[in-house]
Amino acid sequence: MNDMNDMENESISKALEEALKSFDSKTKQVPAGYFDQFEMDLIQQIKVEGQAPQKARIVNLFLNQKKYLVAASLLFAIATGYLFFNKAENTTTQIAKVEVIDIGSLPDELIEAYVNNNELVTEVEWNSAIEAAGTNLISRNQ
Amino acid sequence: MTDQALIIQFQNGEVKEDAFTQLLKRHRETVFFQIKKMVLEHADADDIAQAVWIKVWNKLDGFKQESAFSTWLFRVAYNETLNFIAQKKRLKTHTTQNELDHSLEHPSSQNALKETTIQIKLERAIAELPEKQRFVFMLRYYEAFDYEKIASITGTTVGGAKANYHQAVKKMTELLQQA
Repeated sequence: MNDMNDMENESISKALEEALKSFDSKTKQVPAGYFDQFEMDLIQQIKVEGQAPQKARIVNLFLNQKKYLVAASLLFAIATGYLFFNKAENTTTQIAKVEVIDIGSLPDELIEAYVNNNELVTEVEWNSAIEAAGTNLISRNQ
Repeated sequence: MTDQALIIQFQNGEVKEDAFTQLLKRHRETVFFQIKKMVLEHADADDIAQAVWIKVWNKLDGFKQESAFSTWLFRVAYNETLNFIAQKKRLKTHTTQNELDHSLEHPSSQNALKETTIQIKLERAIAELPEKQRFVFMLRYYEAFDYEKIASITGTTVGGAKANYHQAVKKMTELLQQA
């Protein structure tokens, strides 16, 4: 250790060495009894700080679970979105099902019942069509 | 009684103040002089040393003794000193320059002038060193700490600490040689 120090210090010039020695002496100049006073002041300060009422610590309740809160929010948003769009999709599918009912697959009884129940409407429709056609024929003949 | 035993006493809370006072008495001068060599001003060194020992009082309960107490203590001192220098850097540079210029203009005698000039040049050279280089140099040159310990205190590698030391010597030599 000392050998190593000697080797290192060889690279330090004489002028620098003297200046460093003088600097060391200068920095070690302190007022008489300084360190005893320092100790007393320090202990006093520690006691005062120890007796001072502690400031209430502000604790953010969910600060530690911040990442979990973010994850939960994202999950909630995704779940809500999924439910919303899934519902809309189901409605669309139902409408589509009504549209693609194959009349050939329906039983004859059901068709007959529908026709019987709507006979009046059918007649009115036919009558209207005949009247319209007749009017046209008359007007053409004229 | 060793530092380790005193720390255990402190952490057990039996004779907390006594144990702390013993540690303080052992290390107060070394720490204070190291800080003073960094900041040069007695009052500044006093403020920093107070802050260091208060931090030691507050944090010693959590000290796990994974390193020597002196290493930990000097690490606290290093951090506090750097914080202080960073806060007062601009003001400090201005003040030091004025004081140095004033001293050079008002020498008391021829011998004093020579001594003062070298001293002032050295202090100026020290002030111009980067903080880490300065701290490493002081620990190595004045306290003869080994590089492993210095590296641990300053948060660098052994190679980095060695490089800092040699850079500091080189710069101070150059600045002293300047007319």
